[in-house]
Order: sequence, then structure tokens, then C-alpha cells
Amino acid sequence: MSDNHDHGHSHDDGAVHPHIASIKLYVGIFLALIFFTVVTVALSLIHLGPLNLAIAILIATVKAALVVTFFMHLKDDNRFNALVFIGSLLFGGVFLAYTLNDTDRRSEVDHVQGAYVYEATGERAPGGRPEVERPVQPASGEAHGAAPAGH
Amino acid sequence: MSTAHTEAAASHDSGHAHDAHGHDAHGHHGPTFLAHHFDTPVQQFDTAKLGMWLFLAQELLFFAGLFVAYGIYRSWYPEDFSWASHQLDRFMGGANTIVLLFSSLTAALAVRSAQLGKKEQTGILLLVTIVCAFGFLIIKYFEYSHKFHAGLLPGNLFNPDVHHLAASTAGLPVPAHGGSFFGIYFMMTGVHGLHVIIGIGVIFWIWLRNQRGDFTAEYWTPVDLVALYWHLVDLIWIYLFPLLYLID
Repeated sequence: MSDNHDHGHSHDDGAVHPHIASIKLYVGIFLALIFFTVVTVALSLIHLGPLNLAIAILIATVKAALVVTFFMHLKDDNRFNALVFIGSLLFGGVFLAYTLNDTDRRSEVDHVQGAYVYEATGERAPGGRPEVERPVQPASGEAHGAAPAGH
Repeated sequence: MSTAHTEAAASHDSGHAHDAHGHDAHGHHGPTFLAHHFDTPVQQFDTAKLGMWLFLAQELLFFAGLFVAYGIYRSWYPEDFSWASHQLDRFMGGANTIVLLFSSLTAALAVRSAQLGKKEQTGILLLVTIVCAFGFLIIKYFEYSHKFHAGLLPGNLFNPDVHHLAASTAGLPVPAHGGSFFGIYFMMTGVHGLHVIIGIGVIFWIWLRNQRGDFTAEYWTPVDLVALYWHLVDLIWIYLFPLLYLID
């Protein structure tokens, strides 16, 4: 594990030899972070539709990458620590993607239960996509009752 | 690496806690900061770092649940989220972003001065980091009290007072699911704020240890680890700010 700690010149005395970055670098990273913060606020004031969210996340990710790489020293750190970090991000992504794939598409796949409206209020249930929505049945029980189940 | 180990092992682990820099020739295990189950300082350092990164990974996965909740509800109620987001104070949110980024800078510089063995400078930088954390909480307090005052609250408590709403949404109907946004808003910023409060506690603890003289240019791992935690708190906020405050 310790072999990733040398930076060109190898020490094998068992001591910790950190890569000490200059104050200039840290202040530079800080200024870049402030710059990106101003940019993200400015861009949020321009209406770009769905692009706004994409840009906001992109800029946040650039800022996060700067913090992780330089402030958190992943650049000079043991690579295994980077693997742990990126691995958790990947699994967070899997969590988000699979969950949204479910919650955003329930109305497409849930024809059997007809989950377009709340039974109690008749209000449109979340997750329905307008282009595939069937006409709302006034009394939610009726449609099911009329089905040829007969038991 | 191996010579130090074998000699220490051969010498029955005799009284290694008594001097600061044990030398191989005297048969001491190593420096006082080295726990006896580690062979070398670098092994101890790598182990501590890995443990911290595993903890941070767990933190990310913990917050992931909240981010997924945010994603689901924003995708369900985009207009409600846009309306609710406009009720937040971008100026205060932006100010808090800058405060946290600055505190991350001072935390990173604290690690740097600890690596150089500059105890006094490390202490000052840790204190500045703590002051920024308090600044963040004070701004958050003003934001929260405005939300309470305006009835911008989670779930069924969502009952906005039209006189206290943002000018940018004047004339727009109050959305039915604004309470969903504010549930997520208070949960995400609340749990994040809790991390800030815990951060104040642990940074203060490390400051005490620094003043006590626990750290040297050879041993500064705890300063490094507490800074990693603090950067993670910053990292979460980097995403919370645009996702909550800057919805078009």
C-alpha cells in the first residue's frame, strides 16, 4: 500500500512523505471555485429550459472535482482511496438511475392497476406521462368493476 | 522498513512509549505516535486514510438517498419545484457557498502547515475554519426563520403567507406540492447543517490536540482526516446550492 506514496524519488524508511502543495495552488483552486460559483448563478438567470439543470450539474461536478483532486489530495493519494470514492459515486448513480427509471415510468407499465389517479381524490397521480395517459375515469372503482373478471 | 521491524520485534517491545523518537539501535518500536500494531508510520497513515475514505464513501451513499428523493420529486413536480426554489434567497445561498469554500481553503491550508510542523499557524487556520462554520450556520438561521415566518414548511405544514413570498413568483398560483420541495429542502439542508455542527466539534477537538502539541511534521494524520471530513461537507453543499436555490 505504501508504494503509491513516493513522488518520483523513492523513500523506504517507513516515514510519511507527503506531497506538500504551495499556498499559491490552494488559493488558485479557491479562486477557481469562486469563479465557477459566480458562473453557475449567472447561468441560472438565463432561461435555457432543461439545459439549465445539465449545466448546473456540470459546473457543480467541475467544482467537486477541484475540491477532491487538490483540497482532498486524491491526486497524490493512494489510488485505492480514489477507487473507494469513485466506486461510491458510481453506485449512487446506479441508485438514482434505477429509481428514476421506475418512478418516472410507472404509468407506462402499470396499465393493470391503472395508477393514473389517486383513488380517494381523483387527482392525477405522480409519474404519469401526459402523452400516454388514458382518459381519467370519473369513479375510480367502476372501470375495474366492469372488467370481465366476474368473481 | 524491514530492519526496524525485526529489531523491534526482537527486543520484546520494551518501553517504546518513553521517548519521542525511538531509534532502531536502542530496540524501540518507533516514534510515540506509532501504534504498536503497525510496522511503520506510513503503514499507519495509509490505514487511517483508507478508513476515512471508506467513511466518506458511506457518507456519500447516505446523502445519495436524499438526492434520489430530490430527483424523484423534482421529476414529478417540476413547476412546483421551480416556484418553491424561487422562494429561497439566492444571495444568502451564494454567500454560504463562498463561506464554505473559503473554510475548505483554510482547512486545506491547516493541513499544509501541519505537514510543515507549523503548530501556531495550524491552530489559527483551524480556528478560522470553525469561525466560517459558525458563519454558515448563522446565515442558515436567518434563512430558516424566514421560511418559518412565510409558512414555507414541509408537507402538510406548507401554508404560504402570500405577503412574504418572493416577488419573482407574484401572481403565480401557490403550487399544490410545494410542501414536497420544502420537505426535501429542510431534510437536505438540515442533515447537511448537522454535519456542519459536528464539523465544528471535531475541528475544535483537533485544534485542542494541536495546541497540546500532539502533531509534528512527522505526524499530522488527524488534521488531514478532519480536513477530509470538512471538504466532504463542502462537497455536498456544492451540489445542494444549485439544485435547491438555482432552479430556473
